[in-house]
Amino acid sequence: MNYMPGTASLIDDIDKKHLVLLRDGRTLIGFLRSIDQFANLVFHQTVERIHVGKKFGDIPRGIFIVRGENVVLLGEIDVDKLCDNVLQQVSIEEILEEQRLQQQAKQKTEKAKVTALKDRGLSIPKADNLDEY
Amino acid sequence: MTDSEQPETETAVSQPQWPENGGQWSDEEGGAGMDECGLAEMAEEDEEIDIYNNETFGMDMDTEVGDTEGDPTNPLFKFGEKPPAPPALPSLSPSSPSFSPRARPQLRVQGPPGRRGRGQRGGQAMAQMFEDPAVVRTVEGRPSLQWMLSSYERTRHASGSVLQDPAIVCVMDSHAPGRGPNYLDSHYPFSNSSGRRGGLRGSYSNRPFGQRCPSQINTMLPSSPIVSRRPFTTQQPYNQVGGLPSPRPCPSTPQPLTPKMMQLRFGANSPRPSPFYSPSSNRVQRFRFPGPVTQLHPQHRRLLSQRQQRSQRKPDSWDPYCNLMSAKEKEWIIRLQMIQLQSENPHLDDYYYQEYYRRMEAKLAEEELGMRGKREPPKLTTPYVTKMDSYTPVVHIEGSLGQVAVSTCFSPRRAINAVAAHCPHEELKDIRQQRLDVLKKIEKLFMVLLEVEEGQRMKAQVLGEGEEKGLMEKTEIKVEYIYSQLQHPDLEAEEEFLPCLLVSKGKQLLARLLPFLSHDAALKVLSMVTSHLPVLMSRDADESLPVLYPSLRIVIGGMTFSQLIGVLKDFTTSLPDSSDGSVCLSLVCQSKFGLSLLYALLSQGERLLSSDVPLEPSIGDFETWTDTVFLVASQLSQSALVEPLLLPSNLLTLFCRYLDKRTIHQLKSNMESATGYLALPS
Repeated sequence: MNYMPGTASLIDDIDKKHLVLLRDGRTLIGFLRSIDQFANLVFHQTVERIHVGKKFGDIPRGIFIVRGENVVLLGEIDVDKLCDNVLQQVSIEEILEEQRLQQQAKQKTEKAKVTALKDRGLSIPKADNLDEY
Repeated sequence: MTDSEQPETETAVSQPQWPENGGQWSDEEGGAGMDECGLAEMAEEDEEIDIYNNETFGMDMDTEVGDTEGDPTNPLFKFGEKPPAPPALPSLSPSSPSFSPRARPQLRVQGPPGRRGRGQRGGQAMAQMFEDPAVVRTVEGRPSLQWMLSSYERTRHASGSVLQDPAIVCVMDSHAPGRGPNYLDSHYPFSNSSGRRGGLRGSYSNRPFGQRCPSQINTMLPSSPIVSRRPFTTQQPYNQVGGLPSPRPCPSTPQPLTPKMMQLRFGANSPRPSPFYSPSSNRVQRFRFPGPVTQLHPQHRRLLSQRQQRSQRKPDSWDPYCNLMSAKEKEWIIRLQMIQLQSENPHLDDYYYQEYYRRMEAKLAEEELGMRGKREPPKLTTPYVTKMDSYTPVVHIEGSLGQVAVSTCFSPRRAINAVAAHCPHEELKDIRQQRLDVLKKIEKLFMVLLEVEEGQRMKAQVLGEGEEKGLMEKTEIKVEYIYSQLQHPDLEAEEEFLPCLLVSKGKQLLARLLPFLSHDAALKVLSMVTSHLPVLMSRDADESLPVLYPSLRIVIGGMTFSQLIGVLKDFTTSLPDSSDGSVCLSLVCQSKFGLSLLYALLSQGERLLSSDVPLEPSIGDFETWTDTVFLVASQLSQSALVEPLLLPSNLLTLFCRYLDKRTIHQLKSNMESATGYLALPS
């Protein structure tokens, strides 16, 4: 149990491998090296993991500094546990290709939806572009 | 600067396979679209970067080496255009080696598509040398990868904000002045001039509203670096290479190397210990108490220590990058968070925590009672926080019509209306102003009442003798104060309390104050209430009178017979111009509170009479009593009654003694119909 208030509870997580989900949807995995009182995080040997369906691909990124407000969640990775019995790691090109296809499909359905609505005289209100949430 | 450069070059020299001869670098010539001197610079940095990268990632990436053989698209080659010129080093920024290792891996990954064709020939040999696994991994044999990554990044740009570019590595200066190794400063890529450095420091002055000491305005970057950064990042990252402005901001201030920085830069030496890098002996992540800064409840501390003994942690394998954050820095963060938790009144601010541990202690104490006898539970002490100077949130400038509100972080928007300007002429106050005054006064008195009640609660806890007495005195003073304040000084004696009583919150205030008042004062309040009962009842729009009932009932329970008679007179006095009976009584029958009060009074009288206590009545008391009873009985039997708040059980007994059967019967049915249950089990 961690009794430290606020960001200080992250101190016990330092130098451990973590997975962080950012507000823009990216998933980063790296060693948490440093924090500050705003929960800004310094990650080392970071890898950006892209998931599409059951496949995933890693892009090595090096050192990342994440501003605290952009973190959705952060969790320690148990290095001992067996991983990826469900997920299948593929090469980066493949995952990017998959992602592109996924985006395409999504756009197509979105477009179809918009057209259908337009035909009926309705429209979807557009959210502000900068913040998807 | 020379410090930083020399070890690099030394390292470069020590590696035998490192090509000193520029000719052995890749054969590509004619950097189309590439600035010549920019290339030279980049090539220089390349060398250092590669050493750094090699050693940084080398240990993990040994298995990946094989993949790079003959990879023509290794973007490294694109940079290896010109022979490295060691004498050209001085022109480079001292911070660039530090800057580039961070950013470069990004750049490498996103090599411009146009330059793919190069580096075909000298590739293989280079591949071995430029073992940057970060690049190696991504470049897996197909030129399209670059493009894919680039398009991936592009979509990020399109969809998200520009600042979400992963190529941006924002070195954030996130510490308070006076902290330990300022390595971030040295690494700061934009502190490329002393002026800039001043600008960086200047950002600290941006803290007027950080009233807590290390409030960090994370001015992420001073504005100028962002501006200069923009061209770097907002374009397609691949064009960054081409778009590198040759007149790059020229940083020439030599940065002092701190041990921390050495650690990072000599990640190169990680496999073997370097003189600057001292591996921490405490590699095992132990659960630790953060030291004297934290203030835990003693019980809590005990629990934690027990848990600590029980828990075991497996020792980490050697991690060369561990303990980047020194213990001092960790302490600092903990301290920072703890400071924000300090309070002078933990029972108020952190009620549940305190309550929980208090109860746990009480339970333990109970268990231990048999064994060790009562022990004084250890007190929780929080370090004293110096109170902020009081501030005037509303400034009234003489002669002005309005008020100026000063906003602070504690009261960003002060309700100006609540604070009235001084009104020199009391008589000219209109009704609205008067009401406002009364309301304000009630609020102020309520605050004092809360303190009184708090004192009462604290009395229940174990206090020292002197403390308790002091507390009692203080409480007494406060009670006196409230009582005196409730009586409007400028009103007649008859009408004290009335303004406050007409406000429902004033009624609540009085109800909560009554238990603290002396008996005489309480009696005064009671008599005042009864004498003004018609007014109170008629103006009790929101039915808040009943809140007074419980406290008054207790007061009544302590009354003597004479006092009772005196109060009861108020119920039976008739107005001089009324013809029959008491107006008050008829009104009372219609009011819950009034009726309940009447019942309570009668019940008290009955109780006193039927008890054996000597009554010491004054002259005429008994007559008045009998008269009152008759009057009340007749009134009650005639009019329709409302349901009282409480129906005392000895009322009918009282009436039975004085009245005839018929009247009693009528009374009984009347009361029962009002209450819905039997007034007396018969």
